[in-house]
Amino acid sequence: MRHFLVMTAFAALAAVVFGAVAKDSNHERLMYGLKVFAEFMVIGLVLAWVLYFIPL
Amino acid sequence: MTADKISTESAPAKAWLMGIAAWLVPGLGHVLQGKWVRALILGGAVWICFIMGFMMGGHLFRFSAAEQGVSSLLQIAPMIGDLGTGLLYISCWVSGTGFGQTPEQAALATFEYGWTFLLVAGLLNYLSMLDAFDIAAGRKS
Repeated sequence: MRHFLVMTAFAALAAVVFGAVAKDSNHERLMYGLKVFAEFMVIGLVLAWVLYFIPL
Repeated sequence: MTADKISTESAPAKAWLMGIAAWLVPGLGHVLQGKWVRALILGGAVWICFIMGFMMGGHLFRFSAAEQGVSSLLQIAPMIGDLGTGLLYISCWVSGTGFGQTPEQAALATFEYGWTFLLVAGLLNYLSMLDAFDIAAGRKS
């Protein structure tokens, strides 16, 4: 659970900055920030499951 | 013709000052330009990332010639990332805090996350710095 929360916090902070510096209008910034956040979360979860099945 | 104009376009001195201010103190470059909300969002994210990094037991990187071989060179890239936090990094460097790794720190489950957050705080501040520079140069509103 802690790992998931840390990943969520990381995705949120990065998405806030990416969204704020990109695009021109506030609506576009919000949508881009949400998109970046969703991408971080989905890719993080997919990678976590892929690595779960790989014996290291 | 347009490309020539763009390539020879020079940024005003104010833009460089704002860029340096934004690098030194996260959010300051936007505050000085009256962009309070932007300063709060960008600066806040960097400060929170930096503080969370230390709270999770992270450490900062620095170049150390004392380490042998390639090991010392491997510290340069993350050091450049950490250096993005400006005075936060410099004050830690001067006071000698935040660079060591105690066994208790290394045993924390969030140890690796910690130094990653510290590194990313610096990288995010580089983005914030470029944003402050662009606003001062009139390339962004």
